[in-house]
Amino acid sequence: MDIYLPIAEVSVNWPLLVLLGAAVGFVSGLFGIGGGFLMAPILIFLGIPPSVAVASQASHVVASSTSGVISYAGQKAIDFRIGAVMAGGGVLGALLGVELFRYLRLLGQADLAVALSYLLFLGAIGVLMLYESLGQILRRVRGEVVPHRERRRPLWLYGLPLRMRFPRSGLYISAIPPFALGTFAGVLSAIMGVGGGFILVPAMLYILRMKAGVVVGTSLFQIIVTTAMTTILQAGRNQTVDIVLSTILLLGGVVGAQYGARLSGRFRAEELRAVLGLIVLLVGIQMGLELFVRPSELFAFAPGAVD
Amino acid sequence: MQALPPPPPAVTAPAPDRSASTVDEVRVAAALTDARVMVDSSFRGASIVLYGAVFNPSDTPADVVVVVRGPDAPVRLVKKTRNMGVWLNSRPVLFEGAPGFYMTASTRPLGDIAEFGQLRRLGVGLDHLRINAPEESRTVTRYGVRDVVVSRLGEDYLDWRRAVIRLREAAALYNGDPDGVEFVDEGLFRAEVELPTVAPTGRYFAEVWLFQEGEPVSVSNLTLTVEKVGLERDIYEFAHRRPWSYGILCVVLAAFTGWGASRVFRRG
Repeated sequence: MDIYLPIAEVSVNWPLLVLLGAAVGFVSGLFGIGGGFLMAPILIFLGIPPSVAVASQASHVVASSTSGVISYAGQKAIDFRIGAVMAGGGVLGALLGVELFRYLRLLGQADLAVALSYLLFLGAIGVLMLYESLGQILRRVRGEVVPHRERRRPLWLYGLPLRMRFPRSGLYISAIPPFALGTFAGVLSAIMGVGGGFILVPAMLYILRMKAGVVVGTSLFQIIVTTAMTTILQAGRNQTVDIVLSTILLLGGVVGAQYGARLSGRFRAEELRAVLGLIVLLVGIQMGLELFVRPSELFAFAPGAVD
Repeated sequence: MQALPPPPPAVTAPAPDRSASTVDEVRVAAALTDARVMVDSSFRGASIVLYGAVFNPSDTPADVVVVVRGPDAPVRLVKKTRNMGVWLNSRPVLFEGAPGFYMTASTRPLGDIAEFGQLRRLGVGLDHLRINAPEESRTVTRYGVRDVVVSRLGEDYLDWRRAVIRLREAAALYNGDPDGVEFVDEGLFRAEVELPTVAPTGRYFAEVWLFQEGEPVSVSNLTLTVEKVGLERDIYEFAHRRPWSYGILCVVLAAFTGWGASRVFRRG
């Protein structure tokens, strides 16, 4: 039941990979996220070289986001205008991120960058999500009225030039913040192999204050463009995309995602967010832990010389 | 009626004298069961048998040492050091001369077969691999002696070198088996070459040494090729020769799968 992966140059148990793809797909469908942040650590744990894991699963994110975008587009829940601005930023970010990752790999610091980004971003987002959703659950249990949030955007959003109208999102703001947000997500997608939805969605909701109905669809649209770009760049610059690995993951992933999406309607949004926040936080801590625990082997091979 | 005896040959040649070399010379001959290892989708490593014969007309016992060396693969090594409570990687150090695969099998521990200097000279044994970091070394004048090679890695140099071997041993790429050569019959021996899944592709060289009283008396050289075949080879070559088209293909495939899945499930 083992299959040899031609680019990763290791042999893995393929039914296990299909199951893994299905499990991550299920989680991603359930929570409406790409699931990349879960996949990369597990692949690395299975013995796949980190650079191959990060690059190959970007194409897995393309597939799961495509099926998501198609269903959101059917519901007219995508703002393609702001999505295009963000995707433009995403392409730039992917270019920067892949070059940065290449440079870090040569310096032998790619592990550090991956571990630190997981710890910082997943840790922070996980804590925020957990705090916010637990507060909401507590208030509901106590029967309190949810305090009305002030729907005001930060003023600096209006001070910037290049203002554009985004009717579907109900915005008339400068194109710079969405572009910058896209760039940031693009860099993360290259370094962490994630779509960046976990950063994009809160930022679009709480900073840009887009209409909630179009946030997820639009972020998925931006994620497709960014991860497609990342995949092509990783393949072109680093030759680290394993098509066999990503295809196996896809097979399980797309099926799992559909079941996850069906099940998600049965839970309350804040409960889902609380569980997701916990998962995000745990993954972040797990990946960051290696920075603080004395390693059993002090030496390690750095990639770069064999290629 | 009985068959007639065969007629005597027209010319009777005297039996050939045994040449001096076959009489006195101690010799070793060896072969591999498989000189080509094919890496395809079902590849889970390979086990190849090396077998051979020792011609030893003398009374002195002989030892066999089998050395298999894969294509050279320079490695970059980092060391984790603690800085302000956080474990960070050091600057990578490039080590050259490290083969991608290395194994020895012998009839006795190598140290009992030959002297340290002899093994070092032949490069036989894990301790005698010529792995070094040329970029880290510089020549200095020390105690009045010119051109002394020292390493910037300083005292740790041996630790670094040993780490290369230890990490490769952990990946089953390096191996030294002191009783890996097994005599199955008088003068007939066999040894197993275990290639792990991560074994690099390329040409491998096998040397079969025969030692007598600590001196190498004979050697037999063999080659072995590990290559990717079939779909694996095509994918690997495609990914390396036309990386950009390969990347675009990956994306198209992924997008198509996502689209297909959403079609299938909407109907279902």
